[in-house]
Amino acid sequence: MSALQKLPQSMATASCYGSMLSCKADVFVPDQFPVGLRVLVVDDDITCLRILEKMLRRCMYIVTPCSQAIVALNILRESKGCFDVVLSDVHMPDMDGFKLLERVGLEMDLPVIMMSADGRTSVVMRGIRHGACDYLIKPIREEELKNIWQHVVRKKWNENKEHEHSGSFDENDRCKRGSDDAEYASSVNQGSEGLLKTQKKRRDAKEEDDGDMESDDLSSSKKPRVVWSVELHQQFVSAVNQLGIDKAVPKRILELMNVPGLTRENVASHLQKFRLYLKRLSGVAQQQGGMPNSCCGPMEQNPKLGSLGRFDIQAFAASGQIPPQTLAALHAELLGRPTGNMLPPMDQPALLQASLQGPKFIPVDNGVAYGQPLMKCPSNISKHFTQSIISTEGGHAGFGAWSSNSLGSFGPSHNLGSLGVQNSNVLMGMLQHQRLQEQHQKQKIVAENCRSINVQPSCLVAPSQSSASFQAANSPASINQNGAFNRNSIIDYNVLSAQSNNSSFGVEQMSDRELKTAVVLNGYSVPVPMSPSMSSCSVNTSNASGWQVQNSTPTYITGRQLPDQVPNTNDIEGSYSAKADQGPLRNIRFIGKGTSIPSRFAVDDPESPVTDLNHGKFYGENENKVKQEPNLDFIEDSKVGIPMSQRFPPNDLMSVFSE
Amino acid sequence: MLGLGAERLRADMNRLLALLFHQGVLDEQFLQLQQLQDATSPNFVSEVVNIYFNESEKLLRNLRGLLLDREFSDYKKMGIHLNQFMGSSSSIGAKRVRNVCVAFRAASEQNNRPGCLRGLELLEHEYCYLKNKLHELFHLEQQRLLAAGVRYPMQN
Repeated sequence: MSALQKLPQSMATASCYGSMLSCKADVFVPDQFPVGLRVLVVDDDITCLRILEKMLRRCMYIVTPCSQAIVALNILRESKGCFDVVLSDVHMPDMDGFKLLERVGLEMDLPVIMMSADGRTSVVMRGIRHGACDYLIKPIREEELKNIWQHVVRKKWNENKEHEHSGSFDENDRCKRGSDDAEYASSVNQGSEGLLKTQKKRRDAKEEDDGDMESDDLSSSKKPRVVWSVELHQQFVSAVNQLGIDKAVPKRILELMNVPGLTRENVASHLQKFRLYLKRLSGVAQQQGGMPNSCCGPMEQNPKLGSLGRFDIQAFAASGQIPPQTLAALHAELLGRPTGNMLPPMDQPALLQASLQGPKFIPVDNGVAYGQPLMKCPSNISKHFTQSIISTEGGHAGFGAWSSNSLGSFGPSHNLGSLGVQNSNVLMGMLQHQRLQEQHQKQKIVAENCRSINVQPSCLVAPSQSSASFQAANSPASINQNGAFNRNSIIDYNVLSAQSNNSSFGVEQMSDRELKTAVVLNGYSVPVPMSPSMSSCSVNTSNASGWQVQNSTPTYITGRQLPDQVPNTNDIEGSYSAKADQGPLRNIRFIGKGTSIPSRFAVDDPESPVTDLNHGKFYGENENKVKQEPNLDFIEDSKVGIPMSQRFPPNDLMSVFSE
Repeated sequence: MLGLGAERLRADMNRLLALLFHQGVLDEQFLQLQQLQDATSPNFVSEVVNIYFNESEKLLRNLRGLLLDREFSDYKKMGIHLNQFMGSSSSIGAKRVRNVCVAFRAASEQNNRPGCLRGLELLEHEYCYLKNKLHELFHLEQQRLLAAGVRYPMQN
């Protein structure tokens, strides 16, 4: 963060140019700066290509014309660091210009200028959304091209910042770019590989705060995978917000995040997912309009968010628009809270619906998010699961349907098969919690504890392959999957911790009344009945969004943990409020101001769902319930809960935010 | 004598260009194109315009093919072709061709088959007119260069 502030002042223009150029080519002298700018022009229209080439040459740039997008991409990949800027047509037969733009943005982090005769706002907007730093409408005049160096400089400035912060690290990134790119391309592979690496990363993540390990680790492992822990993601989102979603570029985000060991590629892939996520939501968000504000409110409102989230999820899922990751994220937030509600519905007809519907979309989510969690959950969980399954009954049955499918692959992981489904649910809940908690960096601590417990099992249990299969089957979007994976892995820790927190919360703090009230607020009729079914209490609805999971927990575990965990509740609430605040911020940002620090993807979701709320509630609750139950079990097994309380002191949360 | 011929040819060229500008066949982008022609690429304009002719004829063929397929006209593909046509036409300053492309594309977006057919007809007409006129221009240019070419040595 501090880096940003330093930026403007630190560099005099002349020195800036010099340094930036020196990074890539020592040949150029600052005075002549724009001269020798290396430009790659891509246009399938040879006429335009020829004219552009000529114009660019007249600007004294070094021009590489290319009439095919795929060829251009190959050129860029093969000769990294050999270009300063890319000019690309939008409509190309072999590869959509936007796709090229996206790839370039993610892999090379070069400024890309789009061109097209098509100047319709929608198309231009698309270009901007994909990260184009400029959009030129044909016919392009020489004057316009004379100025394109500014985009290069802008980018370089950011890079310089980065250098100030972590010089050596940056260097590493560059070297690795090539190898990492491959990963982006194949999400499935990532999935499988991801697990192993994820685990490793987790350990790394632990040490992130300490500082050193990362760079060593990265250099030693060819394809470092980053676990997008709650904290990490929060940092990421805040960085994106600071930059503005349209201007957010992996490099800059990386600078802002200033996390040792994190590579540009990691950020890039995460950003891509984030962008896709926003894109999907943008439509909904526009419809909902004011909704976000309500969400922003304090803890109490959270339940609403949760409900909204559910809505969205369902709606999206139904339409098939939601990528698995998004769903997972949504679920994570939403589900976590509603947990309390979840259980009760199971018995009711609502449960039936849930089970029916759940299988359809839930599987997707599971595939993405669950893959890893399931794996991790493990030995302990399996036992619990069996129990939970029995108790859950109808709800479980529903899960079983999809679980069977997705789980199939898991099977090998042990007994998880049937359990796996539940686990996935749990995981979902976990995810939600995690995100909620993401804001609290303190979670790290918790996460660590969780990791020790859960992670290891996951390693043992879950073969990377199984996760891969999951993703492949469930999630349609390859790109998204990757991100999901990372998150999942990260999430797992958090989730566990979160759950533990929740459980503790739910038991003691959450009274039935609270739940009811929360329900009322949310407008969920369903949740109320839930509490009775659950043996223990449902947690507070208000907190509930994240925390309600507890209901189930109480029955199982709560007794022991409650005392310890009570303190946690406070902390959690704090975090919630923080989230609430962020919610509005996000909205703002969405609009385009980009001031606030929205923490997660999920945040946006609540907003978007507003329209469908009614429907969403029903479905969402059902789903949530199912999923949440597993969570409870999970928590119990993991026993994470206790540590949680300690880990989440209010202070820490505050510090996180302040940071 | 030859020098005078070159001057006269230059005047003819300017007259023709003025006419084309007046008719809206060309716009200032064409002048940009001419300005790009320098010592390093003395035939730049005719080179680019010839590329444009080749590409445009390909596009026109494709467009006609798409429209003549009565069963199924791929309007989306048509739109892509027209977009390219627009891009290249505007890049060389072929204003009227570009304008027809815009109308044509609008018709294709509405799946307006009669509109597309009319657009295609108009487009072909405009294109032919442009091509003839530019060829005329290049012919004058060539003659002028020949005339001038003889003259320059004399100057020296």
